[in-house]
Amino acid sequence: MIETKEVRKQFGAVQALGGVSFQARDGQITALLGPNGAGKTTLLRLLVGLLKRDHGSISVDGVDPAVDPMAVRRNMGLLTDQFGLYERLSTREYLTYFGELNGMAGPSLQSRIDEVADLLAMHDIVERRAKGFSQGQRIKVALARTLLHRPRHLLLDEPSRGLDVMSTRALRSALHALRNDGCCVIMATHVMQEVTHLCDDVIVIARGHTVAQGSPQQLCERTGIASLEDAFVSLVGTEEGIVA
Amino acid sequence: MKAKWQIVFFKEFRETLRDKRSLGLLLLFTLMYPVMLGVILNQQIKRATKPEREGIELAVIGAAQAPNLMAQLKQRNISVDQQGPMDEAAITQLLRSRKVVAVLRITDKFAENYQAMRPARVELWFDSAADNGARQRDVEEVLHAYSSSVASARLLAHGVSPATVAPLQLQRYDTGTTAARSAGLIGSILGFLFFPAFICGLSAAVDSTAGERERRSLEVLMAQPARTWELVIGKWLAAGALAVIGITLELFLAHAILSWLPLEEIGMSWRVTTFDLVMVCVASVPLSLFASSVQIAVAMNAKSFKEAQSMLSFVVMLPMIPGIAVSMLELKTALWMYAVPMLSNQTLLREIARGEAIGALPFVLTFFSAMLPAIAAAAFATWRMKSERYVLAV
Repeated sequence: MIETKEVRKQFGAVQALGGVSFQARDGQITALLGPNGAGKTTLLRLLVGLLKRDHGSISVDGVDPAVDPMAVRRNMGLLTDQFGLYERLSTREYLTYFGELNGMAGPSLQSRIDEVADLLAMHDIVERRAKGFSQGQRIKVALARTLLHRPRHLLLDEPSRGLDVMSTRALRSALHALRNDGCCVIMATHVMQEVTHLCDDVIVIARGHTVAQGSPQQLCERTGIASLEDAFVSLVGTEEGIVA
Repeated sequence: MKAKWQIVFFKEFRETLRDKRSLGLLLLFTLMYPVMLGVILNQQIKRATKPEREGIELAVIGAAQAPNLMAQLKQRNISVDQQGPMDEAAITQLLRSRKVVAVLRITDKFAENYQAMRPARVELWFDSAADNGARQRDVEEVLHAYSSSVASARLLAHGVSPATVAPLQLQRYDTGTTAARSAGLIGSILGFLFFPAFICGLSAAVDSTAGERERRSLEVLMAQPARTWELVIGKWLAAGALAVIGITLELFLAHAILSWLPLEEIGMSWRVTTFDLVMVCVASVPLSLFASSVQIAVAMNAKSFKEAQSMLSFVVMLPMIPGIAVSMLELKTALWMYAVPMLSNQTLLREIARGEAIGALPFVLTFFSAMLPAIAAAAFATWRMKSERYVLAV
């Protein structure tokens, strides 16, 4: 369970977040929708305790990331917009590194790596070095790293970009499995179809403010528009003065 | 269970070892200097010991006209190689072949002028580009000595004391001792011996900070449940370990070469035992760590590998300055020198090479003078990485 109330963050004269409040419940996949520059990256960094908020409160299962970032991160899987692979390490070595940083070790770590490789259908690249990996292979490795330590919370920034149809399906089933395990998944995305198919809850942020939260259906009803995409545009546009 | 900094350390170390090209360059750089040094010193030793063994070869044209002079030359250990008449081109050719030190041409009217007590001309042809100025001067000295002894004999024959034409008597004393010469040369050699501390860890330090930032993997790493100081220490020690390995390898290779060469022949000494060397290596470990932590603290602020390298190429030269300043100002060895990183290591090894008994204090000072700033730089890097401004720029 991730909960934020009136979170604000300012960098110099720039207001990155002007008031973000939402609840992401366990056992649900929550979509984070927002145009580029809406403050998604800043929000994710606040949630893992890389930045400190100016105002408001954040609670990740009752723990404040500004107070105890280590406790929050131990239970958090973060997939940023950059994969962060090491070209001279094989996938297994890469995953071992991050597994160990998350307190895993030995045979149990290795069998967990095989398990995650199964889940993401990536056995062909486990023993290969990352140099020359395709976009899809890179994101799979990064996803595997995110899931490795069985985090209760997942923050995924556009996890499906660059994936082919088969891999997208593998990702989708992985996310379903996580939801059934009772994980709390927050997924930033720009693909509306994915939101309709996958997500139980949607948070819309624009210009550093949450403008709406609800299920895809609720958002459509609230705006009186049938398609989620148009509803999103209208939500962002009406309150922010953006004409899409 | 490994500590977090150990996990980071082993990963960075392994990754660097896999970069075969830069590792090969490092090895080349580290081993090249002692080998080059050995070759140069060996040449100097050979050159210095040559005259005694072989004497001086002098080609003489028209030797038959001056038998006394020839006898004088032979007496002074100059072997005379008699040649027939030669023109300028042939003489140049002969000198260029380096078989003789110089060519002495006794002009056609030598005997006639000599008999008539007119200045009898001899020509000395030499190649100033060839490296045998000292031996050429020896030849000239013999000619001068011969000339003045003949002059004295002639004066005596006329009833004049030769002392009248020698109002001055010049006697040369050279106070330059072998130890002083040795100190100068060894000092300049040692200046570079410690350089690998700043070179060998460089690529690891840059790659694990600016490189990681350029590849955008640093943010992921910083979001892991590991404290910033654990990340910094792991990266710092990985770079430092490479520097320690590099400098230890180089010192031992240099030690082997310098001990093997007969340095006494050119007035130098290398009175370093293997135990001394081990102690110097141990005292120099913090120098490598200091270099690496400064490199990490600087490189982490660069946005790309390239930017970091150009920033650091300047930083790498800084530690050489105290050593150069001291040798230019010709300062005497003093205790404060052991408190300046790099200079302390150079001074330490130089004093031991001279055979001075220096006691334990210089070792301790050398160790801590680098260790404390090393820790300070690592602390600064940690503080910097924690700062919000840094996170934003990652």
